[in-house]
Amino acid sequence: MVHKDIKGTFLLLFFALITAFSYNHLSPFGIALFGQWETSKGVVLAISKTDSVNAEIQINNPELIRRIVQKKERIILDVRPREIYDQGHLPSALSFPLMDFDQNLGQILGSINRQSAVLVYCSSFECTDSHTIAMRLINLRYNNVKIFSGGFRQWQEKGYKIEKNEE
Amino acid sequence: MKNNYIPALAFIIKLVLGITFIYAAYHKIAEPAGIARILCGYAILPGFSINILAITLPFVELTVGFSLILGLFPRSALLIINALLSGFILLIGFNLLRGHQFDCGCFAFSSQNQTASNIFLLIRDFLLLGSGIYLWKKTSSS
Repeated sequence: MVHKDIKGTFLLLFFALITAFSYNHLSPFGIALFGQWETSKGVVLAISKTDSVNAEIQINNPELIRRIVQKKERIILDVRPREIYDQGHLPSALSFPLMDFDQNLGQILGSINRQSAVLVYCSSFECTDSHTIAMRLINLRYNNVKIFSGGFRQWQEKGYKIEKNEE
Repeated sequence: MKNNYIPALAFIIKLVLGITFIYAAYHKIAEPAGIARILCGYAILPGFSINILAITLPFVELTVGFSLILGLFPRSALLIINALLSGFILLIGFNLLRGHQFDCGCFAFSSQNQTASNIFLLIRDFLLLGSGIYLWKKTSSS
């Protein structure tokens, strides 16, 4: 009896695993067998076929980001929703929510030169919106776009200065 | 009357458990990257296991859900269901104990992390596990 239960368990698991890996391989939303889950390497993600993450443009050094912010070396874009931005953002960051990308595009194209150095961030290592915006800007021929991979959460955790929009 | 009661209860538990697992698998299959992110958010699992679990867990849930309802290896399906529920209880319970905020990801992706709802999830999983153990004892292995 127990032998039959164990045999059945292995059969069910075998069927499930074969189906799972086959589906994942064929699905357009399939993911890699191993993801990138180390924050020391930048934004964490499962690595799917639809990802637009470019590890080469990430800056994973909050101290360097602080210097960039202090010296105003880059135009900083906060891509989180506007109401979250209002609650606190990096000093001099402009609000450019991913969800309003098309709506705000004209404003961005008009006010930011394509040769300008741009820094994009979102909420944390778990967020890929900054990568999505960065890749869209690069496709629009902005050639100096970087990403702060730790995002607002890491900035806040470091205790760096935050700006708020008061009502 | 009394003789009919237990099979009827077992049948209802079987349906509830089976449908619960099929439903839980549905949204996970549609978005494996999302479920991987949620598994990472538990901050317990080693990195190398996260994607493998995100790929396989929904199909294990789906298989055991259908297996239980259709009566194919029902005791084996219940063994897996009870093992999965025990694992979920450990994951949720451990994070509640240490005060770590997380999104369960059990039936839908949520942007809210609420301790109260996670306690509800823990109670729900204990009830499901109790039902699973009861059903396993009542299900004939012949």
